[in-house]
Amino acid sequence: MENILLKDNVAEIEAYFAAGGYKPLKKALGLKPAEVIDEVKKSNLRGRGGAGFPCGLKWSFIPRDLEGPRYLVCNADEGEPGTFKDRELMLRNPHALLEGMAIAGYAIGAGHGYIYIRGEFAAETGVLDKAIAAARAKGFIGKNILGSGFNFEIFTHRGAGAYICGEETALLESLEGFTGQPRLKPPFPAIKGLFGSPTVINNVETLAAVPSIIEKGGDWYAAIGSGKSAGTKLFCVSGPVSRPGVYELPLGAPLRDLLEKNCGGMKPGRKLKAVIPGGSSTPVLTAEEAKAVKLDYESLAAAGSMLGSGAVIVIDESQCMVKLLQVLARFYHHESCGQCTPCREGCGWIEKLLNRFEEGRASRGDIDTLYSVADGMLGRTICPLADAMAMPVMSFVKKFRGEFEAHADGKICKGVRS
Amino acid sequence: MPFKFTEEFRARAEKICARYPRRDAALIPLLLEMQKEKGYIAEEGLDALALFLQIPYSRVKGVATFYTMFNHEPVGKYHLQVCRNISCHMAGSESLLGRLRGRLGIAEGETTRDGLFTLSAVECLGACGAAPVMQVNEKYFENLDEAKLDALLEELKHGRLPH
Amino acid sequence: MPTITIDGKSLEVAKGTTLLEAAQQLGVYIPRYCYHPKLSIAGNCRMCLVEVEKAPKLMTACSTEAFEGMVVHTASDRVKAARRDVLEYLLINHPLDCPICDQAGECGLQDYYMDYSLAKSRFSQADKVRRQKRRAVGPQLVLDNERCILCTRCVRFCSEVTKTSELCVVERGDHSFIDLKEGKALDNDYTLNIADICPVGAFTSRDFRFKQRVWFLKKTPTVCLGCATGCLIEAHHNENTIYRLVPRPNAETNTWLCDPGRLTYKAVQAGDRLVKGVIKNGLIDLEPALREAAARIDEARAAVAVLGSPWLSVEDNAALALLAKDALKTGNYCFDFNTEQGIKDGILINKDPAPNTNGVKLVKAAHGGLSLEELSRRITSGQVKVVLAEARAAGFIKDALKAAAPRLIAFASNRGEIPAGSYATLPYASYFEVPGTFLNYQGLRRRTAPSVEAPEGVKPLWAVINKLAAYSGTSLRLDSADEALKGVRS
Repeated sequence: MENILLKDNVAEIEAYFAAGGYKPLKKALGLKPAEVIDEVKKSNLRGRGGAGFPCGLKWSFIPRDLEGPRYLVCNADEGEPGTFKDRELMLRNPHALLEGMAIAGYAIGAGHGYIYIRGEFAAETGVLDKAIAAARAKGFIGKNILGSGFNFEIFTHRGAGAYICGEETALLESLEGFTGQPRLKPPFPAIKGLFGSPTVINNVETLAAVPSIIEKGGDWYAAIGSGKSAGTKLFCVSGPVSRPGVYELPLGAPLRDLLEKNCGGMKPGRKLKAVIPGGSSTPVLTAEEAKAVKLDYESLAAAGSMLGSGAVIVIDESQCMVKLLQVLARFYHHESCGQCTPCREGCGWIEKLLNRFEEGRASRGDIDTLYSVADGMLGRTICPLADAMAMPVMSFVKKFRGEFEAHADGKICKGVRS
Repeated sequence: MPFKFTEEFRARAEKICARYPRRDAALIPLLLEMQKEKGYIAEEGLDALALFLQIPYSRVKGVATFYTMFNHEPVGKYHLQVCRNISCHMAGSESLLGRLRGRLGIAEGETTRDGLFTLSAVECLGACGAAPVMQVNEKYFENLDEAKLDALLEELKHGRLPH
Repeated sequence: MPTITIDGKSLEVAKGTTLLEAAQQLGVYIPRYCYHPKLSIAGNCRMCLVEVEKAPKLMTACSTEAFEGMVVHTASDRVKAARRDVLEYLLINHPLDCPICDQAGECGLQDYYMDYSLAKSRFSQADKVRRQKRRAVGPQLVLDNERCILCTRCVRFCSEVTKTSELCVVERGDHSFIDLKEGKALDNDYTLNIADICPVGAFTSRDFRFKQRVWFLKKTPTVCLGCATGCLIEAHHNENTIYRLVPRPNAETNTWLCDPGRLTYKAVQAGDRLVKGVIKNGLIDLEPALREAAARIDEARAAVAVLGSPWLSVEDNAALALLAKDALKTGNYCFDFNTEQGIKDGILINKDPAPNTNGVKLVKAAHGGLSLEELSRRITSGQVKVVLAEARAAGFIKDALKAAAPRLIAFASNRGEIPAGSYATLPYASYFEVPGTFLNYQGLRRRTAPSVEAPEGVKPLWAVINKLAAYSGTSLRLDSADEALKGVRS
């Protein structure tokens, strides 16, 4: 099928417009905001940042009759290891994002939209700023958009190096000029978000899907994909496959097809060992599990993992799972904001335990300690970063215990499969 | 030469503040702007920003040390930031780092004597499909291997940051 | 008004009540580190997790509001396991230096460790995160970052209560720590509260450090006399020595206590504490000093003036009034103090530095007397030969004293208080040693309670006055402080 999000030669506004761009915005402005929300609800579009929350429902939480400003925030703090889809989308199709934001802004009654983009994405920020200027010049954003009376400004806002700011309330804190520490919920952002006002936070990919939904209808979008997992999704594949990269597929496509058809299979001489299907924090799948699973919210949940951000990390037999987990633990230890006790202390503890395995100082008992330290973090913190550390630990230990035992027994496993 | 809160900077800062209903929301963008001037953020810069935004110094300090992109001491002309997260790790980032250490004679976190290079190992840069990846200042270099890395270093030594 | 069930007991609570507060109403204690009733909710320590039926995850009792029909378990196996885990996480990087830690005995880590007991540490010594050990961070506090559990009570206190925002968390994750600007001192007027609210031994009081193990301390509820606010406090003492004052939080007046107030106990055991009388500049025993003063009073009689004091209790002021009216039968007495009152810093410190301006008004109502201006005028005119006054109150008439130079017989506890040019000074017991009634700026009646004994021979002021009366040839026959209160509205 034709791509909805990833398109070629639409980065410039003229080309985007020539391909039908910004017509959906015009259409949306002719509808009532509630009708726009209904259309998005009908589409079954779900959040593409990782949590998969229904997008239309999220928009409908914004109180309609409340005085004062509302905000739309685009989460472009792409940082989950393995994930690089939003970057590609922003570079190749920035106007789909801006148009989606303008439509979302209209639907929820926001006057301002902020794109919170990770600080490292300097070039991407430049592309967006240029696109915003172009859209403003054409009257697609700014005052009285297309004569509708709707005013909507968009600003980019760069982060400065903190994975945690991908969590929506940490992002709001950061956007307000504070350290990125997640907020206690309730209140939820829809009631008390940015600057204390009702706020919707959507991922880049979610917002970029909105113009097509408005143009072709929610029913059209809902018919793509499988069941409750509607529409297309960007999958970013990294690791030793022949053609790593970002691919747009209908939800429900077999993981096997993504790896073999789109990515051209494993690199010569490499054999599939495991797949982390949805970004580094989702539980790992063995090769057998990976070969059987479909890429949608429900199928991956049934397989004991998650669709997450759609970041498919392919691991081959040459890799040591203990080493890879150490790499991930170092990351979460580095990124824990330090607010909640279990995460702040647990992430560091886990990394140090894994260092012992890697340095040949671990005992078999440390395997159980590792598992129980992770288990103790699960579900006990303000935000899911602790879970994001715990889930890979628990799944790696469960599924590749033999490699941990080999380390504890003094052998360096070098990719020996348990 | 420490940071100076010039009139030119003040004008730029005011423009950034105007994007937000509360001017203190501009703290992080202003710290980034400040870092552009000298490559790092000096202590007096924190004081100046606190005063400019009318917020406590403690908040500025907390923010400036929470986010990892802020440097608190001078860095080299080229800040080499090698990603070492999972996809880059599998693609050989450790050996790239090792090669850089050898070629430059410095460890991570250090700057060459000529002030040309600072070497850092960083976490996921969000370009995993093109692993291994290195960021030089604000520019990404992707799908690196030893030959490409050597060629890049040569360019940088001659003061040329390739496009 | 939602009705909820906690550990099988039902109760109705006001809307907006948190589970922690509701449990408290039932007498169910939920362990906590970051929660403090007077600070914003942080929810970071995760110690107060409780089980709410139908909720998939444990919830923080400090931040979760009670809703109709909630069924809460605060001691289920799941809850206990969570608390045990949180404690273990907190302890892995803790230095475990309890033997040299002042917090020992009142430490949240020690207490809960006993409650949710753990097995041996699973974290080897070598792998601990090291942080900066003790350093002075202001006139009153020492900070030990290694003991800190990052509950941020101190940070919130400085931003929300004193609004001075000296403290922040710098860096992040398990390398983050509490810090303040290099070269700057943590020197607002309330810093010792930080040592109180720090649930571990990270912030300790420089004054109290290494002085006494807390389990030896006896606690006496009393009142701070540092100003007219009249905060309720507890004096902590052992073997007749006071070691520290801490606030006794109450809804009327104070949650906190200011640093100057905290240090008021120091005068009681200071080197310049008066245990003898002073005649001119020479120390003499109490009895001869009393007799000398009485002789001067007897000589002057109707030319004696008596000044009350807002630093003295209602009882001692009343005794002074009786001395003037009944014993000396002089009209030269004054209980007229009208210092402006009110909180001057928005927190606790009062514009009126004296603790009993309102209490003296009761004595004035019962016994009348001159205005301060009239008393000053009479002194200045030379008709007053001897003035009896509490040392600090003498400041109210200092111009008159200077102009006419009558013989000043002062009552003082410490040598440093003695007004220049005093003829005689008589010591009296501090209100840390004897009870006294005070009316704070809100008009609330508060009584001090003795924590320690007065130095040998040093008597309560009413008893000193009683003796002065007897030695000068009349008699008040006061056997107790209360007897002085005749006619004073209680």
